[in-house]
Amino acid sequence: MENTINFGIDLGTTNSAIAKFVKGEVIVFNNPLDYGRATLPSVVCYQKDKIIVGSQAKVMFGKQKKDAFTQAFFKRKMGTSESFQIKSQNRSITPIELSAQVLKELKTFVNTGDNLESVVITIPASFDLIQSNATKEAGYQAGFKQVVLLQEPIAASLAYANMKKSKELTDGQWLVYDFGGGTFDVALIRIKDGEMKVIDHEGNNFLGGADIDQMIVDKLVIPKINAEFSFENLEDEMKSASGKYNSKYYVLLSRAEEAKIRLSAVTSAEIVVDGFEDEEGNEVDFEITITRSEFNDLIKSSVDGTIEMIKTILTRNSLGSKDIQFTLMVGGSTYIPYVRQRVEEILQIPANCEIDPTTAVAVGAAYYAATKQKEISKSDKQQKKSAISIKASYNKASKEKDELFAARVTGETENLFYKIVRQDGGFDSGLKKLSERISEDLPLVENAYNFFTLTVYDSLNNVVETDVEPIGINSGFGISGQPLPEDICLEVDDYDNPGHTRLALIFQRNTILPTKRTLTFPINKTIIKGSEDEVIRVKVLQGSHLALPEANKGLGFVLITGKNLKRDVSKGSDIEITISLSESQDLTVAAYLNMADQEFKETFNPKERHTPIDLLKEQVEDLTEKLEEEIEQATEKEDYETASALSKLKKEMEIVAEETEKLNDDDVTDDKYKLEDRKRKIAQEIDSATKHKRIQKVKEHYFETKQECLKLIDENGNDHERKTFNDIVSQEEAFMSTNSPIKIQEKSDELQSIIGQIKWRTPDFLTGIFNWLKGEQTKMNDQTQAKSLVDAGKFAVESQNWDRLREINFGLLDLLPRGAKEQITTKIGFGL
Amino acid sequence: MNEQIKVPKIYIDLIDQVFEIEKKVESLTESNSISRNVSRLKEIFEQLETDGGLVYHNPIGEAYNETRTDIEASIAGSSADNLIITEVIKPIVRYRKGGITLIARKGIVVAESKS
Repeated sequence: MENTINFGIDLGTTNSAIAKFVKGEVIVFNNPLDYGRATLPSVVCYQKDKIIVGSQAKVMFGKQKKDAFTQAFFKRKMGTSESFQIKSQNRSITPIELSAQVLKELKTFVNTGDNLESVVITIPASFDLIQSNATKEAGYQAGFKQVVLLQEPIAASLAYANMKKSKELTDGQWLVYDFGGGTFDVALIRIKDGEMKVIDHEGNNFLGGADIDQMIVDKLVIPKINAEFSFENLEDEMKSASGKYNSKYYVLLSRAEEAKIRLSAVTSAEIVVDGFEDEEGNEVDFEITITRSEFNDLIKSSVDGTIEMIKTILTRNSLGSKDIQFTLMVGGSTYIPYVRQRVEEILQIPANCEIDPTTAVAVGAAYYAATKQKEISKSDKQQKKSAISIKASYNKASKEKDELFAARVTGETENLFYKIVRQDGGFDSGLKKLSERISEDLPLVENAYNFFTLTVYDSLNNVVETDVEPIGINSGFGISGQPLPEDICLEVDDYDNPGHTRLALIFQRNTILPTKRTLTFPINKTIIKGSEDEVIRVKVLQGSHLALPEANKGLGFVLITGKNLKRDVSKGSDIEITISLSESQDLTVAAYLNMADQEFKETFNPKERHTPIDLLKEQVEDLTEKLEEEIEQATEKEDYETASALSKLKKEMEIVAEETEKLNDDDVTDDKYKLEDRKRKIAQEIDSATKHKRIQKVKEHYFETKQECLKLIDENGNDHERKTFNDIVSQEEAFMSTNSPIKIQEKSDELQSIIGQIKWRTPDFLTGIFNWLKGEQTKMNDQTQAKSLVDAGKFAVESQNWDRLREINFGLLDLLPRGAKEQITTKIGFGL
Repeated sequence: MNEQIKVPKIYIDLIDQVFEIEKKVESLTESNSISRNVSRLKEIFEQLETDGGLVYHNPIGEAYNETRTDIEASIAGSSADNLIITEVIKPIVRYRKGGITLIARKGIVVAESKS
C-alpha cells in the first residue's frame, strides 16, 4: 500500500490530464477513447439520460441540441456565484459540478487498478482563495477524500527540475510561459533557500492554438479564395451558422490546424480547398501554399502581445532580462518555432523547450504528489460493498449495423451509473443511470468481432464490481466460417540458402474462412515467350510454415512457362499472387504477371487432390538429394545419432523414388497420391531428425551475431541502436523457446541490420570497402564515372570525410555489374 | 479498458493519400484502370502483417451522434439534432488482426443536421 499521494491532475481550462508517480518515473495516462492523446477536453455535455465528457462533448459545444446542454471554459467561472441553466432539465449547474465531472472522467483513464482517494490538482497562479477552495470542492465532489492544490507554473517547473534530475534547483528566477489550446498564462517563479514561489503572473483567457487556426483561415485562406474565385460574401457565408459554406469553414479549420502543425517542421505547407463551386459555377479545387514567414507574420501581433505581458511583469518587479535564468515553454502552442524564437529574441532570455509542453503540468503535479503523504482515516476507506448482478441478453452474431443489448439488473441500483464502450474505442454510450432494466443499441464494426465492456460506477465514478461478462458480438463474417486447421503457405526460393526453397506463411492456422491475401514478389529469372526452359511455379501448401516444404501437403499448383506468355517477362518484374480460400476451403490461386499483363487463375477443390506427376517426380528427386546431403553432413560432424536416423529413411526413399519413376504421366490410379503421402512422411521425418541441427546452427549464429553487435554498439553505436539491440535481447528467452529456426534467424537478421548501420559509419570499414571496390574498378560498368568516384574516394580518405566516402562507396557498388554471384539456381521463380 | 494501438504516422499519411485518390477516381468520367491500383494499395495496407493490417472506412452519409468515438466531428450550422456526416476530411483507419479491430486513427468529419 503506497502512503504517498502519487496522482497529479492538470485541471485545465481547455484540456485536462492525469499522471501517476511510479518508482521514480511519472506515467501520463492515455485517454482511452482518444488515440494518441493523453489529454481530455474540459467540456461537459448533459443530455436527457446521460453525461458526456471530453472530445465528444466538445463537438456539441456552441450547438443547439434538443434536451442537451454543453459547457466549456467553466474554469474561468470557478469561485463565482454564476451557474449555468439546463433548461430542458429545469435546473442549474455550477462550475464546481462541471469540474467534478471532468475529474471523474479522468479517473477512468487510470488503468493501474488504483482506488483514487488522494490527489494533487493544479490551479492557475491567478486563482484566489475562493477559486482555490472551489477547485478543492470539485475534487471532493468527484470522490477524492484528500485534495492538495498546486499552482500550474510550479508544477511545470517541477516537471523540468525532475527531468533534469536536479531537484535542488539553485537560487534564482525564471518564467513559465504557458501558451495552450485556448488560454495564455505567464508566471515569474523564484526559488530561494529551496522554496519555490510564484512571484507574479499575467494572462489572456482568450488566446490559444484554436485562435491561431481561425486566423489562418480568416486572414490567409479566405482572401486567397476570394482572389481566385467569384464570391460575394464568402467570409460571412462560411462563418455564419446558417451560411451556405458553413460546413466548408470547419473543413478549412481542420486543414489549417494540420498546416500549422506541419509548419513547425517544414518551411511551407499546403491547404487544399476543394469540394464546392463559386457563384459563377466554377469548381473550387486548388492548393494554397502557406510559407512559414507568412504564418509568422500572421501570428506576430499575438505573440508580441504575450511578450508585452512578460515585459510588464519584469518592469513591475524591477527585473531585467539578465536576472531571469530561462523561459520555460509549456502548452501545445509553444511547439511553434516562431513563438520560441520571438520570445527569446525580444526578451534576450533563453527559451527552454526541454519538457513535453502538453503534459508538463500533470507530470509536475505527480512529482509533487509523490512527496505528499496520504491523510485518509481508516473509517473513510471502508467501502460499502455492492452486490449487483447483471443478466445480459443479445445476439452473439449479427449481420446488422447495430445490435440491441438488453440486461436485467438485480441489486440496489440507486445512485449507480453505467457506461458501455466498444473495445476498439469507437463507441462510448456516455454515463447513464443504472436501472432494473437497461438497453442500448450497440453499433458494430463490419466483419469483425466486436467486444464491448459494461462498467458500473457509483456517483463518484468509482468502479462497482458486478458479475457482467464482456459483451462479444461477431459481425458479418465467420458466422458459419470455419477456422483453418493448419497453416497455408507458399513455397518460395530461399535466398539465404541458394538452390533450396522455404515456406512463406500466407494464412495462419485458425484464420477464419473465407479469407484472401495478395503477395507481390519480383521474379528472379527472365522467361522468354515460347520457351519451356524457365518456369514459374506457384505452389500452395498446407502444414506448418516452420517445416520443410516437402513435408507439407500440396493444395494447389500453377505452372507458368514461356509457352503461356504473350511476351517475354524480365527478371525483376513483379508477380502478384492472390490466394483465396472459400468457406468450404476451395482454394483459388491467381498469379498476375505485371509485365505481360496476364493473369493465370485456377481453383482447386480440397476434395480432389491435385498432384501433377511431373511435379511429384521432381520433388522426390529433390528429397532424395536432400537426404543424401543431410546424411553426409551428419556423418562429417560425427553426429551419428542423426546420421543413423536418416540412413533408416534411405531405403524407403529409394523405393518411393523407384515407384515414382515408373508412373506414367497419365496415370489414373491412386498410386500418385499414395506415393505423395509416403514422400511427405519421409520429409517430415527428415525435418524432425535435422531440426535439432538447424536450431543449433541458427542459435550459434544468433549468439555470434549478438557478440559482434554488442561490441560494435559499445564502440560506435548510438542510443537508438542500443535501444533496438536491448529490445531484441530482452525477447531472447521468448524466441529461443519457440525452437523455430525461422524465428531465431529473423532476430539474427535484425541484429545484422544494426551491425550494418554501425559499420557503414566506421572509418575502418568504409576504407576497407573502398579499397576492395578500387580493386574491382576495371570490372565496373561506367569506367569514367568509376574513375572519378575512385579519385573522389581517395580524397575523402585523405581528408577523413567519412560521410562522403560512404556516398562514394554506394556509388561504386552501383557500378558493379550484376555478376555471377547472383546467378543462383532458382526452382520457384520468386523468393524471400 | 480499451486497448490502443500506435501505428507509424507514415502509414496513416499514406492511407490518407490513397483515400484522396480514391475519392478523385470516383469522380472521373472517362474510363481508366486507376481503381485497380487503388485496390492494390488498399490491399497492401490490409496485409501489412501476416494476419492483419490497416483498413480505412469512409463514413460519408452515416449518422453521427456523440456515442461515435471513432470520429472527431465539427458540426456545421447551429443545430446538433439528427446529424449526418456530410464531409469526410480524413477516413477512420482501423487496425485489423484476425477478427479483432482497433481504431488506429479517428475519422475527421463535418456533420450537419438533416432536420
